[in-house]
Amino acid sequence: METVVETAPAETSEDGVVESRRDAQNKFTLGPGDSLEGKLIYSGSVNVQGRAEGEFRVGGNFEVGAGASVKALIDGTNVTIRGDAEGTLTARDKLTLGKSGKFNGDVTVKRLQIEDGASLNGHVRMGSFEQSSSS
Amino acid sequence: MLGPRDRLIGELYIEGNLRVSGTLEGQIEATGDVDVTEAATVKASVAGREVNVSGQVNGAVVASKKLVIGRSGSVVGDVRVPRLVMQDGATLSGKVSMGPQVAAPQPAISESPIDTALAAPVPDGEGQPKAKRR
Repeated sequence: METVVETAPAETSEDGVVESRRDAQNKFTLGPGDSLEGKLIYSGSVNVQGRAEGEFRVGGNFEVGAGASVKALIDGTNVTIRGDAEGTLTARDKLTLGKSGKFNGDVTVKRLQIEDGASLNGHVRMGSFEQSSSS
Repeated sequence: MLGPRDRLIGELYIEGNLRVSGTLEGQIEATGDVDVTEAATVKASVAGREVNVSGQVNGAVVASKKLVIGRSGSVVGDVRVPRLVMQDGATLSGKVSMGPQVAAPQPAISESPIDTALAAPVPDGEGQPKAKRR
């Protein structure tokens, strides 16, 4: 088990979506053999290398590693996808779709970078940010 | 090919490559590559093999090979491409369709291979004796 959780006071207030807080020293890593199902509201950053399903609202960055599979509502500051992901995604700053990244679903982002080889299917909304993130 | 002070309103079909630096409104289709430079304003549906956008495009984009949206590029409209590259700073608003699950049939582009795939009749569960064998 590679799951490392540095227990920090998790951000439980749903309305107070942390505005681009970058001091994310807390990191939650889900190893390649690990899987998570459910809802996670976390002030730090999340790195998924295994399987994850559910809802993830993250104050820091959210990363889906190569080989990982995520089916979720994702909300983070910077989101990087190098694996397989589907759902609804909001990146308050930037979404990066890496070479091996795949995303199916709707995307709301401020900035978007797509590398050659990545795949995206869904609606893309950029720029203006309204708080549509109701739980 | 279309300079910064040139303007075209209408429908353009080109055998070969096209480079737009001016204003274009209507519909463009090229068998080769389409290059929309930084100075260009395109309010048209764009179809080509490889489409490069560094300027503004307002309309649907279909590329049979690849779409590249450069740092200064902006695309507002639905995009259907097999490969998509977006540089940081580029803007894209619309629906993106890549890969096999192609949706929303796009009129006016008859030469794209994706269209032929779409045109393939889908059996509609109406007494297809071949499918069921006991």
